[in-house]
Order: sequence, then structure tokens, then C-alpha cells
Amino acid sequence: MTRFFVRRLILIVLTLFVVSIAIFAVTTVLPGDVAQVILGKGATPQDVETLRNELGLNRPAYSQYMGWIGGIVQGDLGDSLYLRRPIAELLQSRLTNSLVLAVFAFFVAIPSAVLVGIWAGTHRDSRTDRVMSTMSMVAISLPEFVTGMLLIVILSSTLHLLPSSSMMLPGTSPLTRPQILIMPALTLTGVIFGYVMRMTRANVIEVLQCNYVRTAILKGLPMQRVILHHVVPNAILPTITIVAASIGWLLGGLIVVEVVFAYPGLGRLLLGAVETRDVPLLQITTLIIAATFTFSNLAADLLCAVLDRRVRLS
Amino acid sequence: MMARTHHPSNFFNTVLTASIEQVSPALRALSNGLKLALMTNAGRVGLSLIVVHLTLAFVGSWLAPYSATDFHLEHQLEAPSSQFWLGTDQFGRDILSRLMNGAGSIIAISLAGTLLGLALGTSVGLISAYVGGTLDDLIMRVMDGLMSFPTLLLALLVLTMAPPPEEWLPSWLAWNGLNVVLTIAIVFMPWVARVIRSATLPLKVAEFVQNARLRGEGTLYMIFVEILPNVFPVLVVEVSVRLSYAILLASSIGFLGLGIQPPSPDWGLMISEGRMFLVNAPWVALAPAVAISSLVVGVNLFSDGMRQAQKLPRTK
Amino acid sequence: MKKEPHSSTPLLELDRLAVTFYTPQGTVHAVRETSLKIQRGEVLGLVGESGCGKSTIAWAIMGYFQSLVRMEGTIRFKGKPFTKMLPSELRGLRGRRIAMVYQDVVSSLNPTMRVGPQLEEVLRENLNMGKQQARHRVIELFENVNLAEPERVGQRYPHELSGGMQQRVVIAMALACDPELLIMDEPTTGLDVTTEATILDLISELRQRVNAGIIWISHNLGIIARIADRIAVMYAGQIVEQAPVKALFRNPSHPYTVGLLNCVPGSTAITEARTKLATIPGTVYDSKQPTTDTCLFEPRCSIAQDSCKSGTPQFFDAGDHHQSRCSYWSDVRPDIWGKNEPVIEAPEQTKAKPLLTVTRLRHFYGREQHRIPFIGPVGLAPVRAVVDANFNVGPKQTVGIVGESGSGKSTVARNVVGLLSRSGGDIHLQGVLLEPRVEKRSRKHRAELGIIFQNPAAALNPKLHVRHAILRSLWKFPKLRGRVARERAAQLLESVGMDASYLGRLPSELSGGQQQRIALAAALAGDPQLIVADEPVSALDVSVQAQVLNLLREEQRNNDISYIFISHDLGVVRYMADEIIVLYAGHIAESGPANSILKPPSHPYTETLLSAIPVPDPEVTPSRIRLDGPVPSLRQIFKGCFFAGRCPRKIGPVCDGVMPPTVANPNSPSHIIYCHIPLEQLSEIQTTSTGL
Repeated sequence: MTRFFVRRLILIVLTLFVVSIAIFAVTTVLPGDVAQVILGKGATPQDVETLRNELGLNRPAYSQYMGWIGGIVQGDLGDSLYLRRPIAELLQSRLTNSLVLAVFAFFVAIPSAVLVGIWAGTHRDSRTDRVMSTMSMVAISLPEFVTGMLLIVILSSTLHLLPSSSMMLPGTSPLTRPQILIMPALTLTGVIFGYVMRMTRANVIEVLQCNYVRTAILKGLPMQRVILHHVVPNAILPTITIVAASIGWLLGGLIVVEVVFAYPGLGRLLLGAVETRDVPLLQITTLIIAATFTFSNLAADLLCAVLDRRVRLS
Repeated sequence: MMARTHHPSNFFNTVLTASIEQVSPALRALSNGLKLALMTNAGRVGLSLIVVHLTLAFVGSWLAPYSATDFHLEHQLEAPSSQFWLGTDQFGRDILSRLMNGAGSIIAISLAGTLLGLALGTSVGLISAYVGGTLDDLIMRVMDGLMSFPTLLLALLVLTMAPPPEEWLPSWLAWNGLNVVLTIAIVFMPWVARVIRSATLPLKVAEFVQNARLRGEGTLYMIFVEILPNVFPVLVVEVSVRLSYAILLASSIGFLGLGIQPPSPDWGLMISEGRMFLVNAPWVALAPAVAISSLVVGVNLFSDGMRQAQKLPRTK
Repeated sequence: MKKEPHSSTPLLELDRLAVTFYTPQGTVHAVRETSLKIQRGEVLGLVGESGCGKSTIAWAIMGYFQSLVRMEGTIRFKGKPFTKMLPSELRGLRGRRIAMVYQDVVSSLNPTMRVGPQLEEVLRENLNMGKQQARHRVIELFENVNLAEPERVGQRYPHELSGGMQQRVVIAMALACDPELLIMDEPTTGLDVTTEATILDLISELRQRVNAGIIWISHNLGIIARIADRIAVMYAGQIVEQAPVKALFRNPSHPYTVGLLNCVPGSTAITEARTKLATIPGTVYDSKQPTTDTCLFEPRCSIAQDSCKSGTPQFFDAGDHHQSRCSYWSDVRPDIWGKNEPVIEAPEQTKAKPLLTVTRLRHFYGREQHRIPFIGPVGLAPVRAVVDANFNVGPKQTVGIVGESGSGKSTVARNVVGLLSRSGGDIHLQGVLLEPRVEKRSRKHRAELGIIFQNPAAALNPKLHVRHAILRSLWKFPKLRGRVARERAAQLLESVGMDASYLGRLPSELSGGQQQRIALAAALAGDPQLIVADEPVSALDVSVQAQVLNLLREEQRNNDISYIFISHDLGVVRYMADEIIVLYAGHIAESGPANSILKPPSHPYTETLLSAIPVPDPEVTPSRIRLDGPVPSLRQIFKGCFFAGRCPRKIGPVCDGVMPPTVANPNSPSHIIYCHIPLEQLSEIQTTSTGL
């Protein structure tokens, strides 16, 4: 077990290393001069050159990278170019806001999706299964901004139940006005609910066709026991991996949802950095999101290993 | 002793045989996929939705009642009527015409992006799995790295930093959707590579590949003649699954204003612009929303149908 | 034991049962019309080739189908039809009164649950036992099926048990509720012969105690002969012959039964002189074909008359409880598939210069361990799959390699052709040293060594036409292309009994036997000196096996080829080989001329192998020399004899501590045995105890 854990940890560090290089490479080394990008097309070559020196872009790539990653490791995230403020400061409230939204969506969507998926899988082709499957199919087919918009049209414009925008005063927490969280969270939920429910259902159906389930049925066990003790424990393992993958959807969806509802979170910050070509800010926000995703995958791997003894052997 | 070298003529010969040998298995895999999908209701409904959209894409711009970019300033934000079937937007442009004109670009972008991503991912996956060893480790770590970005995030990164096509391509090639195509391809590559790699690993030790080794076939021949046709069925499923993601991704990119630049009609962008009028003129945003969603539903139904039919019990 | 109220009504009765599956690929007539009866305490053997519907009968009795299916006819349990039972009553039958043992054991046990609880839940649900009571009963059940350490086995997960142990657990599970009917669906298929033998012993012992009716499904007549009281032979979803076991073997009355008995190598006692195998032409009747109003065996039958094409034959009484579905049952003779001609034994060719010389061949999987100070060795020790194997293959000679799974026989094969690169030792072909990896070998060497694999479906690229494999070999080896190549390809196909039209087919459109013929044709394209055949017939139906074996021998005569013939089946090896090598745990236990190897003195391992083979003759009393203990780990280096841990003839500490000497049999100098026991002594105990 320890060996497995250590191996996974080494792999994660490696992956994060690759990720940071990728971010750094895409943003600084690839064609397209950051200084040029920042100053726009009208800038004179002198201006560009001055900015390049100022940003340290004339140093060799690896030394730029080492400076950047070294700073991060020591807790110095650098300054935002456009907002002219330390990135760490900018992140504080934004990070919590996004976290609140994501965690809220996650804990609503995942348990319900897994339960509905198990139910639908074990009651395959029943009327409820068909309804649920069709709904989840529609849910994964709608882009987040369409779902969000539909919610606004129905819950806000028509029924006047909820505010259409989730704007907040700086420094306030979303938890003080939970009603503004509902629509963004529902939108996010919709996306991952559909995905996780469909996959769970498929896993359950696959396990139901396994020979050991046949054995359990022909042993004369009641169906309820077969499902609880033989189907679910085996179907839950691949589902954990699916759930981890859905966090990627969740994080991507966060960007769009924050735009749709004008919610002040990490995603909007990132998008702002894209629009203003604020490279340092873009690098850090991207790194945070990628690292979150990487660690959720690690958590899933470890959970699987704890639950399934065979994984550890291989 | 015979040295195993690759003469240019030998290489050409290999490529030629490879391409000829591919045609029939590729066609078989495609028609088999289509046949499977048509065995289920989901597949049939999905295919008809896709056909409607494809028709729009090909002939939409000719059939459209108005130009997609003409302003009818006296008809701003008009509700659907007999004159403007789906209403008009804030500049009085006919929404139906904009939708019909925009169908081509979103389908072309997603399809091209998917196919390119598939081609890249397949090559990487095949080579990584077949060659193995350190190269495999290296490639897979890089793919892992790329996969630790949520897809939309990676797409944003690539799109932001890639120079616009007109800067690095001759003007006749510089279509402004090209960057979106490349982005989709790059985002998809690692996922496809992983699927293809795991499909290739068991094939690598299969007896028919061992037989080819005994015949003394070269690496290229092995990968592209012996192994590739056996991953076609995986590829067909992968196309149908990836395509729906590609449409969602392309429309999200449009929605965030990073796709095709206005005034060309882009469905995602139309929704983004229409959001301001959601209360008074909901049709401006809802019409393209329905268009995108029905296209994705169609593709998803189709691929669901295909996979359902694949899992049906078979004899032997 | 309770007395049954109606002892005359059969325990289970199938009355004109027919099962049809509806699949997207078409309608499958799995069981066409089958009537059967079984009494309590009786073992009914159900024999047939794959696709004849025998497993479907089991699933029909259990009421378990996953696909669209139509069942006609009636199944009665103690006289009461299933159709008249309530769903709750039917559920009560499953597991409690009717239990089943499955073919693929590994997948039949829940991988995430310890095996003990998997049994306990049966007892608790079906018999309302308490937790403690159930636990004690499970230990008892494990004792009953002779599992070692019955108290601790329950704590393990299925993947921690060996195949034989898993099968014992499944048997214990089936016996848990004292069932009245036990269905055994090929319970030993996939197990090694020696493990199979111990399971068969267990069942013969249990049937005395259990007093249940047993339906034993198998494709192996040898197993059925050992275990059954009565036999039903199935063909194309129908029963073609039904009889008490001795009557059926003594006086088979359906041409198909006779064919089955004659086409299995080793069906007569293995040690006798070889006879040419009789074959049934053609392939098994396709289950997708509708039932016609003819005898379904007529297309393959050697004694078919015109009248066989009109009207389905009824059952004819061929004696006491002996029924045959053949109108000409009285004409059925043992030689209707050809006389059993003795094979002309090739003269011993020890003087001829060997074609292939293998010296001290080693193959280890995995890297050597690294030793880190204070921590010790890191990683696992390598698996020593083949250790110091020496053998020669003479021109036009067949060397058979026999051994169980994990003995290293496939590893030897792959090292010879160069698919694996050896870890040590030399391989010479006609005196020239061969490179380890096939990629480094010359074209000439590659052409001279061909291989045929076990699974013919995998040996041909499933997506490419048959012509691809053959034309490509012709291009790579004799450098033929264009019209010349196509003509040669057609010629090759003809030589393996197929015509040129098959060149344009896909492998999936061919039967297993046809695929194996194509694989042989492709191997012959390079005009090889030596073909390594790695279990070439074990994936084929018995009636097709014989065709392929005879074809291999014919090609050997016509093209002067040598074979290394690898099989787990001593009978098949005996039929093919001039020389036999017995492999155990990567070591050669014994090697020498075939007829000398199979007679005493033999290595004790060979002796257990011989004694484990189920002989399809109910009148032979099986000898019982069995392997004990676990399979040795191949990661360790044996200090003494590699077989010492499981040897039934172990003589003492010398076996554990000292490597066995190389002893030549004085009657046949090229016959070598690696054993501490003096040969005279071996000879003596083997002749007296086994009657070999």
C-alpha cells in the first residue's frame, strides 16, 4: 500500500511538473511575443523591447521558468500586469467564491447522480429509467450557457423567484446571500449530473452482466441483496474514476457559469486575464485549476486502491 | 546478412500498400458503425437530426431568405412573424438567416477539429504503444500533463496564445475558424491517444502481429497495416463521442467571444449577444440555443445508439 | 435421508424442450428438441461439441437467460412443471434444491468479496442460519471439498486462490444447501490435467455422500466415462444417442458417437501403438440453420442413405435403455469412419545430424533484483520460465513438448522462433547460431522457422483478407509477387484442403478449423524446415482436431518438415511426436523417444500426468497418483529437485537438497530421466501400482 502511494505521489509530482512547463511554454515561449500581445499591434519596436527587458523575457527560457516556479514554491505568486496588484491578494476572495460554488454543486450532483444511476441501471428499460436517461442525455447535450440562460428565463424572468445575476459587493461572502448561489450551482449540477449518472448506469449494467452476479442470483439470493452486496460494490469502483473526471467538467463549466451569472470567482478572473493579456495572472489561475484537477484524480486513484485490493497488486 | 534499413522506395512502397490496405477495413468499420446505430431508435432519431443540420450546413446559405449580415434597422428585435420566421436581433438582422449561415461553420469547425485531433491522437497512441519503453513513458507523461487541464481551460490557453491565422498563413488559407479547429485538435489529442494506446497494447502481442514480426515487416508497416485497421471500430465510436464534445467546446469558445469574429454568424456568439435581451426578446438567444442543443442531442443519440447496438448480445 | 413420496417420478424431466435465441445477428436454434430424465443419485453425462446446446439446457433448467429467448416444451421438477410454479416457488428451487457449478470459475466469484461470506450468505438467506452457525457450516463445507486450511480459506479473496481451489469453493457453494439436483457445466475445463483429476476424484467421492441427481456437461468423453452412470450425446441441439455408460462405450449406436470416440487421440490406451485417427468430415451443424425435416447429421455421415434426407429419425431402441436417433443404428460399426491403421513409426534418427540444437536454453521474465544497502532487494525476482533446456530436433522429426500451464512450453517455442529473446544458452539451426531476436535474424533463417499458434482466430489479422497473410509471406520470403504469387497461394490453399476462393474471405467468415488450415498454409509459404506448433488444436472442436492433426502429418510427409509440437494433452502429443519432452516448472523432467517415455520407468511427474488423463473407457479402473501441494513459485531457484515439493514418490531429504542426476534408460539410451530414484526401482513401483 505504501509503495503504491509513493509511486502515485511521484507520478503526480511529475505530472504537475509537466503541467507547469506546459503552461509556461504556452504563455511565454511559443510563437507570439507576450510583450507584443500586451502592447497590441500599434506598439513601436522600442516599446516592445523595453517591456521585454522589464519582464525578463530576454533571459533564456529555462532561467525564466526556474525564476517563476521557484517563486511559486516559495509562496511568491508575482504581480498582475494589468491590475498592478499582487496575485495572491486578488485570489483570496475569488478562490473562496469559486470553491463554495464548486463544492456546493459537487455535493448536490454527485451523490444524487450516483444513486439515480444505480437505480436506473438496476431498473433498466423501465419507464422511469427511460425518462431519467432521456433527461440526462439532454442535460449533457446542453452547453452550460444554454442551461444557465434557460434557468434565468424560467426562474428569474418568468417566475421572479431568484435574482438573474449573482453579482456581489467585493469582500462579501456568497454564503450571506445563498439565493444567488442557486442558479449557478444548478447549472453546474446539470452538466456533471448527466455525465455521472449515465456512466454510473452504464457501469451498473455492465456489472449486472458479469458471471458473479449470475452466480449470486442463482444462489437464490433476493434481488435486493444481489444489488447491494454484489452489484454496487463492483460498479462503484469505475464510478469513482468517472467522478474524478467529472471534476474537470465542473472546473471548465465554472468559467462559463461565472460569466453567465456575473459571479465573481476564479473563472471570471481567468477570463479577465485572457482578455487583458495578463500573463502572470493567467499562469497562476491556470495552474491552480490544473492542480485541483490533478489532485482530485489522485484522490480517486487512492480511494479505488483502498476499496479494491487487486489494484494494489498490479 | 540482410540489414533492416528503410530505403526511400521501400518506405514509399509501405505507405502505398498501407493506404490501399486501409480502404476496405475503414469503409467496413464506418458502414458497420452506421448499421449498428440504425438498429436502435436512438440512432435513427439522432441520424435524422444530424441529416437536418448537415443539409442546413451545405445549402443553408443559399436557402436563407435574407443575408446573414444585412441590417433591417426598421425591424429591430422583432418577434417571430411571417416576414422574419424566427424574429430579428438588435440590428434587425434575420435570425433564421443567421442560423442557416452559421450551421456550416460550427459543423465544419467541430468536424475538422475532431478529425484532426483523432488523426494526431491515433498516431501518437499507436506509436507510443508499439514502440514502448522510454518513448512510451515520455509521451504518456506529456499526455497526462495535457489531460490535467480541464478541456475548456486548455482550449482558452491555446486560443489566447496562438497568433491569428492571418499572421502565419497566406491570406487564401487564413480562415478565422482555423485557430478553433487547431485548438479542438490539441485538446482532444491526449484523450484519443490514451484510448488508442490501450486498444493497441493487446494488439501488439496478438499472434497476427507476431506472425508479421516473423515475416520481417518494418515498424511502419506493422503500425499502419497490421494494427491500425483493428482500431478502426474504436475510432468510429470515438468520432461520434468526440464530435459532440467538439460542438459544445466550439460553441463555448464562441460564447466567450474567442471564436469566429463578428459579424460572421456564430451560434455561440449569437447566444452571448442575445443574453442582453433575454427579458424582452428571448428569441434572439433561444433560437441559436435550440439549434446548438438539437445538433448535440442528435450526435449524442447517434453515438448512444451505436454503442447500445454494440453491446447487444451476439452469437459467438 | 427423507423418503421421497413418488420415487418413480423422475427428479427432473425435460419434455421436448426447445430453446431459441433471437439476436441481432439472427435466430439461433440452441436446443432443438430434447427430452431427458434424471433420477436422484444418478449422474447423467451430457456430451457434445461446442454449440450443440448442452450449456443452454443448463441455463434453461436454472431459468436464467439474458437475451431474448423462446422456450418450448416442459421442464418438470419432481413431476411438477415449471410453468405451473409460482415465481416465489421457482426462486426457492434455485440455489436450494437445484444448484450449479460453472465453467469459468474465476469470473463466477465476486472479486470484491471474501469467499467465506460468499458462502455464508447462501446459508443465511436460504436456510435462515445465524451468523455463527453459518460460519461453522462453511468451514465444514470447505473440509468436505478437501480445501487445505478450511478455517482460513474463507478469509481470502477469489484472486488469491488457485484455479483448483476456486473450483472447490464453487463446488462447496453448490453443495451448501444440500441440493437435490446438481448441474456441473464443464467444471474442469480450463484446469490443468492434474488439477482436473483431483476435482474428478472429489466428485466421485462426494456423489456417494450427497445423493443428488447430477447432470455433468462436458465435451470430453474421457471425463464422462469416469464419472457418469448414463450418457446423452448431443449434436446440433438434439440428443442423438442415450445409453448407460458401459453400453455406450462398448456398443456405440450412432455414427456421430463412433466418430467422436475414434477421433480423439489417446482414446485407446495411450501406451499402445499409434493408429491413424479417423475423422468426421465437415464442420458442426450451424445453430443458425433452421431445423429441417432430415437427419441433421446426414451431411457429415459416412453411412448416410437417401432416406436420411427425408424425415427426422426417431429414437430406436438399441438394447437395454439404449436409444439411438439413427435409422441405420444396426449398421453402425466401429470402423465406419475408416479402419484404424497403425501408423508407420519413423525409424529412430539419432544418428542423423540434428536440424535444430538447443543447448542450455534459459528464459527469465523480469529484471534481476537490485540490492539496496539496509533495505534489501528491491522488486521481484525474475520468473525463471525456462531453465537450462537441452534438446535436438532431427530432420523430418516431430518433437513433442508436453506440460501443464506455466511449465514454460510456450516460452520455449517463442525463443526458438525468436519472438522472445533468450536469457541464456544457444540455439543452432543446421549448425549456425541463431540470433535471439527475430528482427536480427537473416531472411533465410526467418523463412526456415515457421510457427502455428493456439488461437487460429488471433493468428490471422481479423480485419484483412485471408490472401494478405499468404501473399505477404510469399513476398517476404520467396520474393514472389503478382500472378506467380497468386498461383502459388492457390496451390498452398489446395494443399491444406481449401480452394482459392477463400483468399478473398475475412478470417471471421471461416470456422476455427479452416482458420487453422490457413495459418498452416501461411507458415508453409516460406518453405520452412521446422514449424513450431504451439497447441495448434486445443482451441478446436474434437471432430475438427483430428482433421488438423492428420493434415499436419500429411504436410510433414509431403514437404519434409520437422515439428516442435507443443500441447498440454499427452494423448495428442503421443499421436504426433517421435520424441517427447516433459516439462515441469521450466525444467525438463524427462525426454526421449515417444514409445519409451510412456512406458515405465517414467519420471514421477510423467507418471502423474499419465494417471490424470481421463481415459474414455469406463471399464478401465483409473490409477490414482495425484499431485499434492501448491504449484512452486518460478521466482525461486530450486535447491534440489524442481518436483520435490509435489512428488508422490519423494524418497527423502536428498530430493530437497540435491539436484537430480541425469539418468539414461538402459533399454533406450536416448531416453533421459532427471530423478534421484534408481530406474529399476521406478520401473518396479510403476508397473506394480499403476498397471501401465
